[in-house]
Amino acid sequence: MISMHLPVYILLLLLATALIIPLATKLSNLEIKIYMTYSLIVASLLSIATVARVLQAGAYVYHFGLRDPMIGVEFVVDEFSAVMMALVLILSTLVVLYSYRDIEHEIYPHLVPGYYTLVFLLMFSMIGMILTNDLFNLYVFMEILSLTSCGIVSIKRKKENLLASMKYLMLGTIGSVSILMGIAFLYMVTGNLNMTLNYEIIQEVWHIYPRNILVALGFILTGFGIKAAVFPLHTWLPDAHSTAPTPSSALLSGLVVKIYLFAVIKMIYRVIGFDIVSQLDIPLFLTYFAMVGMIMGSVFAIGQKDMKRILAYSSVAQIGYIVLGIGLATERGLSVALFHVVTHALMKSALFLSAGAIIYQTGKRDVRYFEGIGYQMPVSMIVFTIGALGMIGIPGINGFMSKWYLGLAVLDAGRPLILLVILLSSFLNAVYYIPIIISAFLKESADRENVMIVDDVPKSMTIPMSIIAGLCIIIGFFPQLVMTFIERAIPTFF
Amino acid sequence: MQIQFFLQNINYIGSSCLFVIGLYTVLTHPNLIKKIIGINIMETSVFLFFVSIGFVQGGRAPILQTSGNEAVQYVNPLPSALILTGIVVAVSITVYGLSMIIKIYNAYGTIELDEIMQIRSEEAND
Repeated sequence: MISMHLPVYILLLLLATALIIPLATKLSNLEIKIYMTYSLIVASLLSIATVARVLQAGAYVYHFGLRDPMIGVEFVVDEFSAVMMALVLILSTLVVLYSYRDIEHEIYPHLVPGYYTLVFLLMFSMIGMILTNDLFNLYVFMEILSLTSCGIVSIKRKKENLLASMKYLMLGTIGSVSILMGIAFLYMVTGNLNMTLNYEIIQEVWHIYPRNILVALGFILTGFGIKAAVFPLHTWLPDAHSTAPTPSSALLSGLVVKIYLFAVIKMIYRVIGFDIVSQLDIPLFLTYFAMVGMIMGSVFAIGQKDMKRILAYSSVAQIGYIVLGIGLATERGLSVALFHVVTHALMKSALFLSAGAIIYQTGKRDVRYFEGIGYQMPVSMIVFTIGALGMIGIPGINGFMSKWYLGLAVLDAGRPLILLVILLSSFLNAVYYIPIIISAFLKESADRENVMIVDDVPKSMTIPMSIIAGLCIIIGFFPQLVMTFIERAIPTFF
Repeated sequence: MQIQFFLQNINYIGSSCLFVIGLYTVLTHPNLIKKIIGINIMETSVFLFFVSIGFVQGGRAPILQTSGNEAVQYVNPLPSALILTGIVVAVSITVYGLSMIIKIYNAYGTIELDEIMQIRSEEAND
């Protein structure tokens, strides 16, 4: 039997690593890197063991000290949160491996240990947010997450980074203050902070305090909407994600935003309860915002010239897909939302890492100078192509599967008109991704002849992104690898 | 009747006023330090709201007394304990924001957001 304490060991390991990195001044650079890699691999293995345990023995509740749910803090380790934890750890292991060479290129050398401290704290707080079953604990982890994610943007110390992370900090703080206000309104009704107990109490008493629940839901959805960059509240995302160092962009766009969306799903389905939310017609409004976001994110992306800005605006559109899945308010819709959380995390980190490799070698961020780059850096550009085709929805890559499931879910919910929006959004994705691929592989470069050579970037950068692209294709052909977990997790939400 | 209602709920009304004042300051004021002040006002309003939920009329500080058998009313200690954590979080956000403002001042020579935007658009045109 696998121990039930493993999630806590993962948290302690990440926290200890974050503490040791700045203290270990006597260790050489290489030794610190080996130590970090080692602790990340151990954490990933522990998370896979947790998944195995959950598959074997089912979901379980982990108590910290007190067993009384009224006052004690709990972790809920169920099918989806275990898979999400494994995804976060494996993907960030790959990103951190990639970052060893890239980060020296982007920030001052004396800041590198500080950067890794922030990254480990970021992972720590993401895993805490995934697992926790306590509202205030969620808030505390969320604050650690928002401070560290501002930190890994501003560490680059460029002018535009400072302004972008200031904007991120302002809007993020407004979001978290709103969430805390919402939690206060819920606490007024229920008198405790445990999510499961809150759910039970709210189901019974919501007719007595309908206004409290409505106001709380409004604050919480607005707050998480800002943090997860749902369309009209997305203004901080393109600045923050495009100016950040490449590994930070991959982590922020691939994982951090998804964690907030997962928290929204938790709040809607596990705290307030699906019946109340659908009686207030909130899912309908969510689909409207999602549809506008899916179109407008892509439209903004078309106008951009900077590679990483295009990817950041594309994230806004892809978040729309996930919110649409949540807003359909059916079991299928929710499973698509969770599936797209996984697929988009893989595709977007592949895209950001390959774009970062191109910037690392050529120093060019402008897509107009990408002509013939497919000959100069074939590996990076193939990874980029896989990610981009996945975003458009070409069969064989995981992005197609999530669009396919989303289409089925939309038809299943009896709203076929949304299908047109999905098609239009895919078309718009093609409008800005396809020209980049065409000019990279088919056009003549002005500087050099189109002779195929191997990328000049370090192996520690090409191998992680190739693994991520491989995962994209594997999930594209075998979506059941992820879907089985989601299908087992869905009944716990309704 | 009306005045009675206001007096009984003065804590909730006060905290919602503070929340709106803070939000207005953050969103509209061009000065970055005043934006940070606005964020602090918003956080204070939430803290006031949260602590006042746990208040019991005539309740005492929640300290366990072993002597004496009479039943005593206590103020709910949980919100106060939570808000202690919240204050720590608020302080760290303020510190981070202010240190960012120092960096921005070094980079641009001003902390007025409209002037910074002007400098940026001039840089973009060059």
